[in-house]
Amino acid sequence: MSNAMLEVRELTTKYITRFGEDVYAVDHVSLKVEEGKTLGIAGESGCGKSTLALSLMGYYFPPLHYTSGEIIIDGHNISGMDPDVVRKMILGAEIAYIPQSAMNALNPTQKIIHFIEDVIQEHDLYVTKKDISDRARILFETLGLPAEVLQKYPVELSGGMKQRTVIAVSVLLLPKVLIADEPSSALDVTSQKMVIKMLRQLMETGLISSMIFITHELPLLYNVTDDIMVMYAGQIVEKGSAREIVFDPLHPYAKGLMGSIIVPEKGLRDVKLAAIPGVPPNLKNPPSGCRFAKRCKFARMECEAFSIPLRDIGGGRAYRCIIPEKELREIYAKEAYKNAR
Amino acid sequence: MKHTFQQVFHSGKFVFGFSIFAAILLIVIFYPLIIKDPPLQIVGQGTFFEPGIYVSVYDSIASTRYTLHLDDAAAKRVASKLNEEDRLAMKEWLVKAGIPENEIDVTDTEILLDQWVNNYDPQKNVPGMTNAKRNYFVRLNNSLKGLLSTEGVSIAVKNAETGVLEETGGVKQSDYVNVSRVASVRVLPLGTDNFGRDVLTELVAATRVSLQIGFVAGIIATLIGLTLGLLAGYVGGLVDDAIMFVTNLFTVIPTFVLLILISFSIGQEQRGAFIIAVVIGFTSWVWTARAVRAQVVSLRNRDHVNLSKLSGHSIGHIILTDILPYIASYVVMALILQISAGILTEAGLSILGLGPRTTEVPTLGLMMNWAMVYQAQILGKWWAYFPVLLVIALITFSLNLMNTGLDQVFNPALRD
Amino acid sequence: MKGYRKYFLNKLAWFLVTFVFAFLLNFILPRLMPGDPVAAIVARLAQGMTNTTGVQAIYEQYTELFGTNKPMLEQFFLYVRNVMRGDFGFSFSQYPRSVADVLRSSIWWTVALQFPAIIVGWLIGNTFGALAAYLKGGFDKVLMPVSIFVSNLPAFGMAVILMVVFAVNLKWFPTSGGYGFDLIPSFTWAFIWSVIIHYQLPFWSIVLIAIGGQAIGMRSMAIYELNADYVKYSRFMGIKDRKIIGYVFRNAMLPQVTGLALSIGTMVGGALVAEIIFSYPGLGSTILTAVRGQDYPLISAATLIITVMVLSANFIIEILYGFIDPRIKAAQAD
Repeated sequence: MSNAMLEVRELTTKYITRFGEDVYAVDHVSLKVEEGKTLGIAGESGCGKSTLALSLMGYYFPPLHYTSGEIIIDGHNISGMDPDVVRKMILGAEIAYIPQSAMNALNPTQKIIHFIEDVIQEHDLYVTKKDISDRARILFETLGLPAEVLQKYPVELSGGMKQRTVIAVSVLLLPKVLIADEPSSALDVTSQKMVIKMLRQLMETGLISSMIFITHELPLLYNVTDDIMVMYAGQIVEKGSAREIVFDPLHPYAKGLMGSIIVPEKGLRDVKLAAIPGVPPNLKNPPSGCRFAKRCKFARMECEAFSIPLRDIGGGRAYRCIIPEKELREIYAKEAYKNAR
Repeated sequence: MKHTFQQVFHSGKFVFGFSIFAAILLIVIFYPLIIKDPPLQIVGQGTFFEPGIYVSVYDSIASTRYTLHLDDAAAKRVASKLNEEDRLAMKEWLVKAGIPENEIDVTDTEILLDQWVNNYDPQKNVPGMTNAKRNYFVRLNNSLKGLLSTEGVSIAVKNAETGVLEETGGVKQSDYVNVSRVASVRVLPLGTDNFGRDVLTELVAATRVSLQIGFVAGIIATLIGLTLGLLAGYVGGLVDDAIMFVTNLFTVIPTFVLLILISFSIGQEQRGAFIIAVVIGFTSWVWTARAVRAQVVSLRNRDHVNLSKLSGHSIGHIILTDILPYIASYVVMALILQISAGILTEAGLSILGLGPRTTEVPTLGLMMNWAMVYQAQILGKWWAYFPVLLVIALITFSLNLMNTGLDQVFNPALRD
Repeated sequence: MKGYRKYFLNKLAWFLVTFVFAFLLNFILPRLMPGDPVAAIVARLAQGMTNTTGVQAIYEQYTELFGTNKPMLEQFFLYVRNVMRGDFGFSFSQYPRSVADVLRSSIWWTVALQFPAIIVGWLIGNTFGALAAYLKGGFDKVLMPVSIFVSNLPAFGMAVILMVVFAVNLKWFPTSGGYGFDLIPSFTWAFIWSVIIHYQLPFWSIVLIAIGGQAIGMRSMAIYELNADYVKYSRFMGIKDRKIIGYVFRNAMLPQVTGLALSIGTMVGGALVAEIIFSYPGLGSTILTAVRGQDYPLISAATLIITVMVLSANFIIEILYGFIDPRIKAAQAD
């Protein structure tokens, strides 16, 4: 029975807009990441994946505010902890965040090594600069980054190099949970590969215990993650193992999402790419019923009537739809048959 | 386009700035139609008349008289004659004469007069008073008696033949004239300047001229900046390098100093308002050129431009139809700022004495110059310089406000 | 230090080029304009139309020194030679003082006033702008409208306001001059104190205007930087806000320094006019009297000196920038 490195229960966080309105970007989300596992979070832009990632850190910057729920890292409940304690003990040390477009995440007028010094000194007051330098060098080399990078300014590094540097810096304090937010989206394919390789290496060598991988690039999910969570309009709409979600999605949105992946194979020319028409709802006034109902091909009257809970069907699998599993599969089978003709 | 206009006029800042500016423009246009006096006409003989309503005394005498009995007329009359010094002197005497100090109120003329009249005795020997002082009080008393008397004054005219003064009429203390019936009345809301000119009329004319100079300078500068920016940005290469080189030169070399040199060298005779405007325009295009170039460079590689290029359109056509519309907003903003800068530059030049000729038209800078040279600020003649400053500030403020408003409309990232 | 060499040489080259260009302009422009003052001098000389032999002598001396009846190219070399020697001829309006003499006395007043004022104004303005961006709330709400208002005032406007309020009405400071009229320049305490008192109003006029201009710009820069990605990332790595602010302001300052270099020209121009309002014995007043007295040599020399001052200031700031922006050294090193 492996340890849950990260457990989240009914986390709700909101943005307060300039006009004082509440936007619940993360709405009663629960998840669990086991030791040694990678959880992927998928969904289209604006569904709340990044906000969820930010919410998990335990430190909230306005306009983001914590409303309710629990975040437990390796047994410690960090929600509700004093922000200063969170800053010193949790951020970077227990849970680390690699931002989107990490290339701009480095201070342009500071050498990498100086930034590392600042980070380590915030957490560990009595370490000498030499120690820091050694520690950094070892880590960088382990991860395949040349040690010279440490003495450079961000402007002297290529995009891919910057991204990998940011990843390396993020794991300096050997956090238990690493959240990678779209780590490879802004890169060329070769750099992408290097980044993924690096992340994988981090997991395999045990430098980090668990990882959350956020992306809107679906093809990556299967290769990188163990479990997947699909988000839509601030809610989780389906979760399960990577294999299950990619090849056998249940929720109509997840199904549509996976159906939009182009897999190069024979017969591709005749396959129509299915796009999901419509746009996600405005989270200022979320619809009371199923948030996907308006765009769902199989929606019924009851769907928009009342809020739909997550339906647990065992084995870590769950989805948010009122249609029972068996019925859903029948519907999908019929659809597939129709399209094949 | 229409949508842009709607957006623009929705922007609070723009509308506010625009209304101030429009108000100034309207005043400048309509005032001369109502008051047709030439602005540099010398109205007053003497310097720095205070703002007020100036009534011809001679014509008042000839005007129809009305008898009014006003309670406070006498008190007001005396009050205006008694200055602070005299009042304090009276108080001093009264105190020495034995009246308790707290009963004497220097500001209440009636009571003070009362006490004085009741108590003053020229014969009384007040200890410690010099002769000179005593004479002063006697004089004061006499002049007060004169004020308090209810006699009127006589009007006498010299007989053309005998040269003797003959009384032709009188003015009683209860005689009043209706100012609107008096033949010659001149309202000078801002008084006169050191030469004796009506400041308000002068100010309106000066504003007009300064605005004209600003417009001309602004348009010239914007045109030059636009052309150079377009060329540098679109053509690139050597042309870009050359233009940028010149631009950088003019950025660093202080153009105001160049202006001084040029303006002086043009000479007094040639220095009309228009020439000055042209010169200012030719030296202030730098910032606009740079801004336009930056925009054009970013537009140069956009898809629609490439499409035009592929379609074989000429450079001129591409610039006109594909690039200009996108930089139009910047050009408008640049124009507004250039106008504002032009007005300020002219003011600065005029203060140095290098502005337009002083004999034909006033400009805002010239008015400042005159006020300064004749030391209006030190003498406390605020009307000679403060309204000018206010107008300058209002113009630049409204223009800048319009510009900020426009900036926020065209650049949503700046909306706060 | 090696990395700086390229940068330094680059800036030096630019300085020399602009200097040469400015020099040329200073020579050519007056002679190109319709009212060519040099030609006018020659004309007046030739016609002998002046009433006093004294004035005639001045013109003679000028043509002698600058060779105005010779071809343009020769004139130019004469001009260069004269400037190198520091000889600008005699001042027309203050004969028998030489132009160099007049300038020598007024240039130090201007330098002592303007450059500290501009720098102080720049520092305070940037600090206010940065504070407004960081603290937000009340301070920001007060600073913004005030800065907008002040930045729209021309320098002479501020000068007049300060003069009227503090000198004429409150009588805390004198209204004009560099020092008391009854004093002779000397190293006595009385004189120095008088200078300091007379220095205040012109100084603060320039400082306040500079603050207005800088505060707004710095505030925008700081707001922009405060929202930068690296700020968020640093926070998430647990770094204290105080340290992050250090990063932000260092980064926001850099473009402000460049901005200062670029705008020194305009600021000096405005400051000169402010000097005039106070009859401060600097270059501003010198130019004013020169214009009134049709004193071409003085104006020509004064404009040249001012231009050189501005160019030098610009050069120094650019060099300093190379030291404070670490990327410059890095970029040059490879």
